[in-house]
Amino acid sequence: MKLRQITTEAKLLLIGIPVLLWTMLPIYHLFLFAISPKEQAMGGLLWPDHPTLHNFEVVFKQQHHYLNFFWLQMWNSLVIAVAAGAITLMVATGAAFAISRLKVRGGRLVMNLALFTYFIPAAFLAVPMYKTMGVYGILNNQWALILAMVTIATPYSIWVLKQASDKLPYELDEAAKIDGASPLQLFRLVYLPLMTPSLVAVGTYALLLAWNEYLYAFLLLSSERDITLGVALGNFLAADDSPWELLMTTGLLYALPPAAIYYTFKRYMVGGLTAGAVKS
Amino acid sequence: MASVSFARIEKSFGSTKVIHGIGFDIADGEFVVLVGPSGCGKSTLLRMLAGLEEITGGTIAIDGKVVNDVESKDRDIAMVFQSYALYPHMTVADNMAFSLKLRKADPKIIAERVDRASKILNLDPYLHRFPRELSGGQRQRVAMGRAIVRDPKVFLFDEPLSNLDAKLRVAMRAEIKALHQRLKTTTVYVTHDQVEAMTMADRIVVMHDGRIEQIGTPLELYDRPGNLFVAQFIGSPAMNIVNGTVRRAGGAAYVEVSGGVRWPLDGGPGAEGQAVAYGIRPEHLALATGSGGVPGEIVVVEPTGAETELLIKVGDAQVTLRTHGRPAVIPEQKVGLAVDPAHAHVFDQATGQRLVA
Repeated sequence: MKLRQITTEAKLLLIGIPVLLWTMLPIYHLFLFAISPKEQAMGGLLWPDHPTLHNFEVVFKQQHHYLNFFWLQMWNSLVIAVAAGAITLMVATGAAFAISRLKVRGGRLVMNLALFTYFIPAAFLAVPMYKTMGVYGILNNQWALILAMVTIATPYSIWVLKQASDKLPYELDEAAKIDGASPLQLFRLVYLPLMTPSLVAVGTYALLLAWNEYLYAFLLLSSERDITLGVALGNFLAADDSPWELLMTTGLLYALPPAAIYYTFKRYMVGGLTAGAVKS
Repeated sequence: MASVSFARIEKSFGSTKVIHGIGFDIADGEFVVLVGPSGCGKSTLLRMLAGLEEITGGTIAIDGKVVNDVESKDRDIAMVFQSYALYPHMTVADNMAFSLKLRKADPKIIAERVDRASKILNLDPYLHRFPRELSGGQRQRVAMGRAIVRDPKVFLFDEPLSNLDAKLRVAMRAEIKALHQRLKTTTVYVTHDQVEAMTMADRIVVMHDGRIEQIGTPLELYDRPGNLFVAQFIGSPAMNIVNGTVRRAGGAAYVEVSGGVRWPLDGGPGAEGQAVAYGIRPEHLALATGSGGVPGEIVVVEPTGAETELLIKVGDAQVTLRTHGRPAVIPEQKVGLAVDPAHAHVFDQATGQRLVA
């Protein structure tokens, strides 16, 4: 028995360690670049001879012309991601509640349309979206990117939230109705608290989607003061002698907020909140 | 407290009609049980009273006021669900206080009511627990507490004990009945369990296929079932039913079953030659002392301690006999059955209706 456990674990490790290395390698590479002096960056060493934090200093102090707006662009990314996440959450939650709990007419149609939007790759929609935002007159305005991200993230979010709210026992709504709750009170006092894990998951999804977006951000925003850090990173590649070590340092910093967000909200994403509501 | 009246109630789901013109009245303070097999429309009727289902036809009135178009929350009713339907993110106290908070009641009154209800239901020690930390019986009590704090005109129970194990069910049955005796709130209780109906109800409404089969007190239904359905539904073990023909010869009356078995009638109903269903409850059969009686053969002996049930083959039929004694009989033994004809029930075979002399 014991031997069997050991062999099972050994087998799992045999698979796990290569997968871990495979996953970590690019991140290690990124890290390596970030702590290497410029002349050693492309040296192909496993560890630089003189590791340094100089690159971080350059980035934080915005001492390179590619990095003139580093903090502002980081802030732009954050504002756009948070706004897109919040708006997506509001729209999708409202839709899921109306379709799943209030059983409004046409709910099925909305669900099917939402699914249909994914038949067309988002990249194909970039140019139509650009034209649309032009019509609205909000090109080069961050609202254009926020709205575009909301448009892309919402259908999937509606699906996820609808599935999750279908799992909430319907008797809870009926009990609340008899207890005297209006639909809005039902939404606020019963539905939202019970949906919290799904809401956190969907909110995080939309937020990260917007944070990581490149194509739409690149198309819809152009002023250096408006673009997101992701687009700014792309601009590094415009030059022949790109400062790789700074690009990688900035990239590493750009990857930190999503990681932080993920680890902060991970614990809210657990299920089991409805335990005890009804006998299952 | 209030009276409730149903008048010509109809309900359709799409083109399927599930309730066909039901009408009856419930008096103020009465405990009425709707009972019937699953799909008989009892829960639908209750949900219409609760305002959770549209009423297709007819009217429902609470305290003389028609409530067809009144919303659930304004009907002043409280409902206990089979699945409890407790708010999982609220403590026991918050669950009970929820409706009063929605009504913006004075916090002092809320605290007072919750306190009173939790004392009645022995929930004091659990007020700050969450539903997931409670046992099935405790959750059921919280659901009842949630109803009690409202002090509503009518309590509605939708199969509240079905999810509990047998022992707890008996205990909660007594608790609900005691609660009603204490609060005297008009109560409508739905169950498929005829024992629950018999033990708890002031009056029982037996439903079947969207129609009322009979309304009456538990003992009325037991002693004088109006038709075959009620006769077989009420009582456990069920009433013995054999099909036969009424014979009246030389002052003696009996029901003759194919195979020549004769079940005695007490003068009673039924015309010579009429095809009838003859019903006799297990406790109205006894083993005949000496020879005579309806001849039968023991199939199974089931001692339960206080009583013994005998499964007996009579002609082509099998009947159940229940006795307080511990008869010394063994399977395959030939016995005679003494029948008390005064307790025989006779139903028309074609219509299933009870025949009265």
